Amino acid sequence: MSPGSGTADVNQQARPARYTGERIKRLEDPRLLMGRARFIDDLGVPGMVHAAFVRSPHPHARIVSIDNRAALALDGVVAVVTGADLAAETAEMEVGAMLNGVEATSRPAIAISKVRHVGDPVAVVVARSPYLAEDGRDLVRVEWEPLPPVPDVGTALADGAPLIDEALETNHVAHGKIEIGDPDGQFETAAHVCRKTFKVGRSTGAPVETRGLLAECDAGSGAITLWTSTQMPHLTRTLLAPMLRVPENKLSVHSPEVGGGFGLKCHIFPEDVAVPAVARRIGRPVKWIEDRWENLSGGVHSKEMDCEVEVALDADGKMLAIRGAFVTDGGAYSSIPYTPLIDSGCAAGMLPSMYDVGHVAAQFDAAYTNKASVGAIRGVGWASGQLARETLLDDAARQVGIDPVELRLRNMLSSEPQKNIMGLSLDGGSYAESLAMARDAIGYEEFRRRQDELRAGGRYLGIGFSPFIEPTGMATASARAAGFDIAYFDSATVTVDPDGTATVSTGLHSHGQGHETTLAQVAADALGFAIEDIRVVFGSSDSQSYGMGTYASRSAVVGSGTIMAAAAQVRARLLELAATLLEADARDIDLAHGVAHVKGAPARGVTVAELAGFGYFGYDARPDDVQESGLTATAAYDPPETYANGTTAAVVEVDPALGTVDLQRLVAVEDCGRMLNPFIVDGQVAGAVAQGVGIALLEDLAYGEDGEFLAGSLMHYLYPSTTELPRYDLLHIETPSSASTGGVKGVGEAGTIAAPAAVVNAISDAISPFGVSIDRVPVTPVYLRDLLRGAGR
Amino acid sequence: MSETATAGRRLVELNVNGMSHVGLAEPRTLLSDFLRHDLELTGTHVGCEQGVCGACTVLVDGEPVRSCLTFAVQMEGARIETVEALSADGALHPIQEAFRNTHGLQCGFCTPGFLLTAKALLEENPSPSEAEIREHLSGNVCRCTGYQGIVDAVLEAAANGKDQADEPR
Repeated sequence: MSPGSGTADVNQQARPARYTGERIKRLEDPRLLMGRARFIDDLGVPGMVHAAFVRSPHPHARIVSIDNRAALALDGVVAVVTGADLAAETAEMEVGAMLNGVEATSRPAIAISKVRHVGDPVAVVVARSPYLAEDGRDLVRVEWEPLPPVPDVGTALADGAPLIDEALETNHVAHGKIEIGDPDGQFETAAHVCRKTFKVGRSTGAPVETRGLLAECDAGSGAITLWTSTQMPHLTRTLLAPMLRVPENKLSVHSPEVGGGFGLKCHIFPEDVAVPAVARRIGRPVKWIEDRWENLSGGVHSKEMDCEVEVALDADGKMLAIRGAFVTDGGAYSSIPYTPLIDSGCAAGMLPSMYDVGHVAAQFDAAYTNKASVGAIRGVGWASGQLARETLLDDAARQVGIDPVELRLRNMLSSEPQKNIMGLSLDGGSYAESLAMARDAIGYEEFRRRQDELRAGGRYLGIGFSPFIEPTGMATASARAAGFDIAYFDSATVTVDPDGTATVSTGLHSHGQGHETTLAQVAADALGFAIEDIRVVFGSSDSQSYGMGTYASRSAVVGSGTIMAAAAQVRARLLELAATLLEADARDIDLAHGVAHVKGAPARGVTVAELAGFGYFGYDARPDDVQESGLTATAAYDPPETYANGTTAAVVEVDPALGTVDLQRLVAVEDCGRMLNPFIVDGQVAGAVAQGVGIALLEDLAYGEDGEFLAGSLMHYLYPSTTELPRYDLLHIETPSSASTGGVKGVGEAGTIAAPAAVVNAISDAISPFGVSIDRVPVTPVYLRDLLRGAGR
Repeated sequence: MSETATAGRRLVELNVNGMSHVGLAEPRTLLSDFLRHDLELTGTHVGCEQGVCGACTVLVDGEPVRSCLTFAVQMEGARIETVEALSADGALHPIQEAFRNTHGLQCGFCTPGFLLTAKALLEENPSPSEAEIREHLSGNVCRCTGYQGIVDAVLEAAANGKDQADEPR
């Protein structure tokens, strides 16, 4: 069908009544499959030169001197720029105090006096080609004065520890505490108390496409154009403009196709300041593509946390109180804009999750160390906290002698909308139902029989469950509920073009989530258009539809709310236009799949092409509001709190001699409210679960005791591959949100939050005859074998 | 090091996607960079430059090869196939179509490498089992999909290829 050419007798039989809820194939796929999509490294502009960063090989050192002479002498090198050079042209990168008890911090984009982690940038070399830039980089001589490294939280918080940030008086950059009820009193009198210490390892998003930037500066106006592989073009502009000392209307941020984000690309990094500042300084467009070592050593890290958790139970296994203390190894700088609290603060806020418990104490801290910064990576600290709580509950079940599923079912909140003890406005879900569905789908009773039989033969299988709730649709209400005093603004613009097609622009983004498809489904339904007549555009801060970007499982909720509100305004005007043309009342007009007609009289219709032509060019025959506002509307939506939920269950077999774990089954039950496109929901869950399995078994951004970085390649930082993952069973419950527009919730992070604890609980269940329990991730063969040898069986 | 590194460019002639391409390459120029930057075939993606992620996979004389671990000057006379060749006539190749049908891609960055690795598998073994598919694809990483859609795509492409092979010609 040609654009907007739908006629009254168009064959509508093949169309669903509504697009939302249907398994629509993705509209963005063909260009990606054909190799025709344009990612950041596929772009270029005339006169472009290439940057390479000189980076610290030391975890902690003073910069004594930088000698750029040999680099500048190399044919093809254009410039060598240091932190001192940029200090006069840029502002420091500041991040405010997100909460009481959190330090505000500031840093130069490029280190001037000292470096704080391996990979910290100290100079930029610009040259004619990327190869020459790297040659030049290798010729820059930096004289270092190594300082004592601070490789871990214990060292960081010890008396007399070397200060990471000398502007602060401490490495203890964040501290907070939440106490509700009388948890201490409950612990004194409870029938059962179970305690656990759990160490979560350091992982990150590590998208297959690394970060990259291309910047140019207009010589006349000083306006900067920046192409960047980001999840948030508008927010990048807002945060970056003051650092570059340009007004916001003179900074255009464009995001091309983005090869995965997972949270890595929703931060402001030193290179984001340095590359455009260097382009402005030298008067040439500058491109920089991060290499994998830089990505792993200098991007943001996530989830490393020391957790101490304890639960008080009555004689029947009812949870009376829960306490938790979470300490994040925050790395060397506060990530912008989230700070290291994105991990320990989030773990604390979700400590009781969906459990019905009357007394809570949660403490969160973050310390600076000589590692890369901690930022907001898929699942954030919720995944770490989930590991601590859910492994504690399995330990408690073994200690008390209750089945672990039964223990959880006894303690679940009802699925009705309600406030939980932390003050979260839960919008309805399926807490016990999802656990029961996972239990039945994985064949729990049959598994237990089989487990006993195989144990008798010396084989160790185990099963683990991990029910969760996930804060989604992150915006002002949900951020504040989580304890972050920040505000959001998101909008969408829906425009019907003169030929009757529609353009939807959003401040959201898409880097794998398929928003060109799902948001088109939403718009098509809201307008009453055929989906092929909708185009969804995003990725440029020059768009008038300001928004905060895509992360934190927010885009289904925010996208639905903004687009449905804007589309409703435009649709109302289309109905008035149809009423004028059909000589009827607008209330009697039906508009579906691009054709308007009087209800009950489908034979006589007008197409949206006719309506749009009339709406643009019908002069004074048009209704007044069309004359005043045209066929475009912008609407904002700042959603209420929404919480997805579900349960992940896993079956593993452990080889005690080798310490290896064979993940044999994985069931993920997801309830993300009304699904816009179940096809895409399944993809989000499957991918998130895979990252969760990586956290449980493989991923470890290891540092040596001397602070040296040991995981600088994908040979050392291991992703799950096809052979480490089983085929998953992906199941759904659909409980519409009682709060959001359309009953929609988000889905992006659920699997990463839930899967690690399911896998770890399965391992602990498998090795329970040894009388030991897992107390860290990743569960590597070395760790597991040592644990089992120590158990002495 | 650097004085010699920029010297000694050589004329190379590569056969890429059935066409002959001539260019100048330093001995150190990676095949991935030569394809992407000299020939502007940007469908081949670079994810690690360490030979681990598989995103840069191309077919050299039908075999999957990491173009980030291969020098352009080594490829003189070889027959190279990149993702751009799969849909040369503007329509999706059956393997590409299968990836779309099974949601075998999300961000799409690793996808060209998977497509070519899968093509090599199906040419060698038209009816692979799921375990064989997983083993064959284990040298390519995808961070988005959890692989289920990718494995399903290869199963579907194999089934469709079998159907076509069974049809009378």
